[in-house]
Amino acid sequence: MTDVRTSGWVVIKTEECKGCGLCILACPAGCLSFAPEFNHQGYHPITYSGEGCRADGLCFYACPEPGAITVYKGEAHER
Amino acid sequence: MSAEPVATPGRRARPRLMKGNAAAIHGALLAGCRSYYGYPITPASELAETAARLFPACGGTFLQAESEVAAINMLYGASSAGERTMTGSSSPGVSLMMEGVSYAAGSELPIVVVDIMRGGPGLGNIGPEQGDYFQVVKGGGHGCYRNLVLAPASAQEMADLTALAFELADRYRNPVFVLADGFIGQMMEPVALPMEVTRPPSRPWAVLGTPATRANLVSSIYLVHEVLENHVRRLQAKYEQASRREVRYEEIGLDDAEIVLVGYGIVSRVLRRSIRLLRASGIRAGLLRPITLWPFPSHEIRELAARAKRILVVELSTGQMVEDVQLAAGERCPVAFYGRQGGMVPSAEEIVEQVRGLLRAVPGKEVRHVEAVA
Repeated sequence: MTDVRTSGWVVIKTEECKGCGLCILACPAGCLSFAPEFNHQGYHPITYSGEGCRADGLCFYACPEPGAITVYKGEAHER
Repeated sequence: MSAEPVATPGRRARPRLMKGNAAAIHGALLAGCRSYYGYPITPASELAETAARLFPACGGTFLQAESEVAAINMLYGASSAGERTMTGSSSPGVSLMMEGVSYAAGSELPIVVVDIMRGGPGLGNIGPEQGDYFQVVKGGGHGCYRNLVLAPASAQEMADLTALAFELADRYRNPVFVLADGFIGQMMEPVALPMEVTRPPSRPWAVLGTPATRANLVSSIYLVHEVLENHVRRLQAKYEQASRREVRYEEIGLDDAEIVLVGYGIVSRVLRRSIRLLRASGIRAGLLRPITLWPFPSHEIRELAARAKRILVVELSTGQMVEDVQLAAGERCPVAFYGRQGGMVPSAEEIVEQVRGLLRAVPGKEVRHVEAVA
């Protein structure tokens, strides 16, 4: 999974996520989906596969929860 | 457009890309507001987020209250103490605030509330809706009072109308709402902010902790019946003055329109495209976009109803503003309604289909409610 993160990666704070799915709609790479499990608020939070992610930040801009999605730019090894 | 222009004149900074919610906070700071009390809620969270960052940086106060009930009563205190003050929330949070809004109206306190409407009733969801029209425009709290209500349709207007809200709040010593849907709050657009900060007017009625204001009393209690009646009548006179002076709306292609579309907020943006599509196919459509939901542009709708074939009201609700349009149009012209709910937003093409359906209807037929598509 880490191999494909050539331009950056995304970190989801699942406890902040309200499961609206806007980031799924916004993501051109299709690397976001709903997790089957619930978070503590009872929502299915977003889960990130990383497959094809270009760290374009569209998920960040679409997300209505400040702090739920962080997009890191750079090589995966910098992590 | 009537009354004064929506945007304050003067030099503007280079446009910056920001969310509607962030734009509202910038507009508030430029209007001289220096205190924000609130509780974050999706899709209005960026109001609190931006305010938490910018209010202290501008020498102001940001306080995350323990609840929306606490926040609105903090506004009551701050406004009584002469501050330009605001809060922001989304539908369920605004429901909680309504008692405090009634108190502020009764005590004639200028406060500004930004409501970024989401799906309801109850918790609903965090998608855009316009289901707060009744609670914000028609009251929400108890007693004979009115809110002045401004309805932005862009991030730029989120800034400009929030600034205007502070002017109107002080002008009428009354709560003013900025009523936007989740789309307008969340959408990022270029916003050109004014270069000047407005200096708030003095408030000789406020309680400033000075000998001169020692005798001032901020209260909404009038125990003697005839004294309260006089107070309510005085408020009413104020509202009548506001409804004569403060109506604002935008019109597009209404001069020759046979079909008039009415919508506010994000819906008006969809309707603009519907009008272009309809005109391209030979149907003369026009748009009336209320910018003030209260006072409502009833006079303008009455005039339009006299010359249009049909009026179609489109809302992200099951039909709330449509009642005001019907009241204004009376028997002059049939008023139809089309709505989507739950976070769904109609497409321009969907509305074009509704209009075609309306024009196929027999002339003179009674008000026809079009079923919303599930």
